[in-house]
Amino acid sequence: MTPDINSNPATATRRPGVRGWLLMTPLLAWLFAFVVAPTLIMLVYSFCERDDIGQVVFTFSLDNYRKIFVPQYYGILAWSLGAAAAVAGFLAFGFYADESLSYKLFDLTGMTRRQLIALVAGAAGYCAMREQVYAMESGGNFLRILFISVELAAICTVICALVGYPVAYFLGRASESNRNKLMMLVMIPFWTNFLIRTYAWITILSKEGLLNTFLLSAHIIKEPFDIMPSTLAVYIGTVYTFLPFMILPIYGSVEKLDNSLIEAAFDLGAGPVRAFSNIIVPLTRPGIVAGILLVFIPAVGMFAINDVLGGRKVPLIGNKIDTQFKSARDMPFGAALGIILLLLFAVAFFLTLRKEEKN
Amino acid sequence: MKFRHAFAFAIAVVASLVLASLARADDKELNLFAWSEYVPQSVIDGFTKETGIKVNYEKYASNEEMLSKLLAQPGQYDLVQPSEYTIEALVKKDLLAPLDKSKLSNLKNLAPEFTKLGHDPEGKYSVPWMSGTVGIVVNTEKVKDEITGYKDVFQPKFANNIVALDDARELVSWVMDVKGIPVNEVNEKNLAAVKPMLGQWMKLIKVYDSDSPKTHFLNGDVVIGVVWSGEAALLYKQDKKFKYVLPAEGTHQFIDSLAIPKGAPHLDNAHQFINYILRPEVSKLVSEEFPYTNPNAEARKLLTPEQLGNPASFPTGSPKMEIFHDIGKSASAIDELVTDLKSQK
Repeated sequence: MTPDINSNPATATRRPGVRGWLLMTPLLAWLFAFVVAPTLIMLVYSFCERDDIGQVVFTFSLDNYRKIFVPQYYGILAWSLGAAAAVAGFLAFGFYADESLSYKLFDLTGMTRRQLIALVAGAAGYCAMREQVYAMESGGNFLRILFISVELAAICTVICALVGYPVAYFLGRASESNRNKLMMLVMIPFWTNFLIRTYAWITILSKEGLLNTFLLSAHIIKEPFDIMPSTLAVYIGTVYTFLPFMILPIYGSVEKLDNSLIEAAFDLGAGPVRAFSNIIVPLTRPGIVAGILLVFIPAVGMFAINDVLGGRKVPLIGNKIDTQFKSARDMPFGAALGIILLLLFAVAFFLTLRKEEKN
Repeated sequence: MKFRHAFAFAIAVVASLVLASLARADDKELNLFAWSEYVPQSVIDGFTKETGIKVNYEKYASNEEMLSKLLAQPGQYDLVQPSEYTIEALVKKDLLAPLDKSKLSNLKNLAPEFTKLGHDPEGKYSVPWMSGTVGIVVNTEKVKDEITGYKDVFQPKFANNIVALDDARELVSWVMDVKGIPVNEVNEKNLAAVKPMLGQWMKLIKVYDSDSPKTHFLNGDVVIGVVWSGEAALLYKQDKKFKYVLPAEGTHQFIDSLAIPKGAPHLDNAHQFINYILRPEVSKLVSEEFPYTNPNAEARKLLTPEQLGNPASFPTGSPKMEIFHDIGKSASAIDELVTDLKSQK
């Protein structure tokens, strides 16, 4: 990605001078004040304790992390890793016993043997872990809530991608004059505050709200839908809020798409499906990955939509952290939860980045 | 030239921002940190008009939320509005400033039963704002059964039709009332005893809301629920079909008071505000908008018979009532229990 600076002596000597640094100062100051410093404060707090009214006591303690990683987790982790390994072994044996199997499956799914094993074993491990986590009696709400949050974010990301891709493609391929007008339509919701737009969904979804009144008076349904407040409403609100963040980066990639490549694919005999899956998707991949990151990561930590549309029934990890800073008055524990979440994101982000660079 | 204009403009913006922040430091301000849906705008406007003091009204939805913000920003707020058990905790930690009663000439208007309260026996730190109860609201149009207590509310037939306060301590105390456990004896054993029933109840609840539970009744999303009495009174005022019932198993009475945190930047303005709301005609405005039980005896005389007859504002009979006390660190055990149950399927 980055150009090799040593190959070009002219660029190699171009280091930022004093003026360059001066121009950078606002950015660096911003980064320090709003990213580095708060993270450090959070890190320090996560090792502190609280007194009985909720003030932070600065004594070193690992209690907050112990509260998160209860011993049962290690058993669950071992169990699900074992399940994944068993499935992987079984598949590997299958491929070994029947050479032709991997070719058949490659034709069917377009995935190599290794990718298939990783996918199926990963899914098996995940299912095993999920079952154990939901069966936990008490004290395990961190992992359970994390699961609920990640699943919600993942499903919403998939829906956003499925809905957003055609929209972005259409936008990117529209004539230049129409393109800007259509883009405006995607941007207009941003003119209204996100919370207000979320509250608007109450008016639409509640039992005596716009949607039900309309459907009832049009005699499409007999009984009103009971979706406010509920998890379904949270899904609707989340997809609605994050959809533009999926459309915009994909649109960026589609706009740059070289039409001659698609024509070449058709000329060489590819049907529309083949042209789409082998040419268009790989070429717009950077946009898709950016969209997924922009939707998934904020959606995992999201809590406001859940508060407004979910009736505060099922807590998400964002709500759990929010609670620590408000009603539970346990800032150190909240900070520890935040640190764990930050680490998870960092790991996921760097894995994605490395994979993208390989591609 | 263009650059110079832009530069001059930028200087002007910065200068006005600096001036604005300096103006903020002026003494004509009051930072009020109070419950949401509790202080009428008309009272704030009236106070500003008379004294020229600008009121910054920041809101919270639970005592715990207020405490955490108050502790995180000492020297920020001039007036807070804690309930009795939170006043107890604040006094214990020496976080409240004693009131200067010479500046509170209207204290005499308070009803005698509100002047010597358990959490502040000499009235040294707090002045009662409103008092109320927690009880059951029934939409009698949709629910025909006789509802007398919590047990009648949390029945499977009302599943997904119930609203409850989003307050861990409240939820736990209702089960304690049913089981006959004193609500202030929060310990591991009692929480374990509460857990199974609470878990069953929580599966039936459709929505948790402490800010404005009445909205869900008005939207038709629920037919029954356990809410603050003031919310119930507003519903009754709007439509007589919303009946308020004090649970037979027992409930608790809360007393929310105004208090001044230590290190408040505008001590004098805070006293002025307290004295202002103690005036009968001002206190009446509060009662009109948020019809809880008014502790101001002179203000009660100004209320209409209809307002006084609202059973949610002024309950009759002698229900079994308790008052919450500070439970220290056990509060987080309650919170953990409720989060646990909420995340279970």
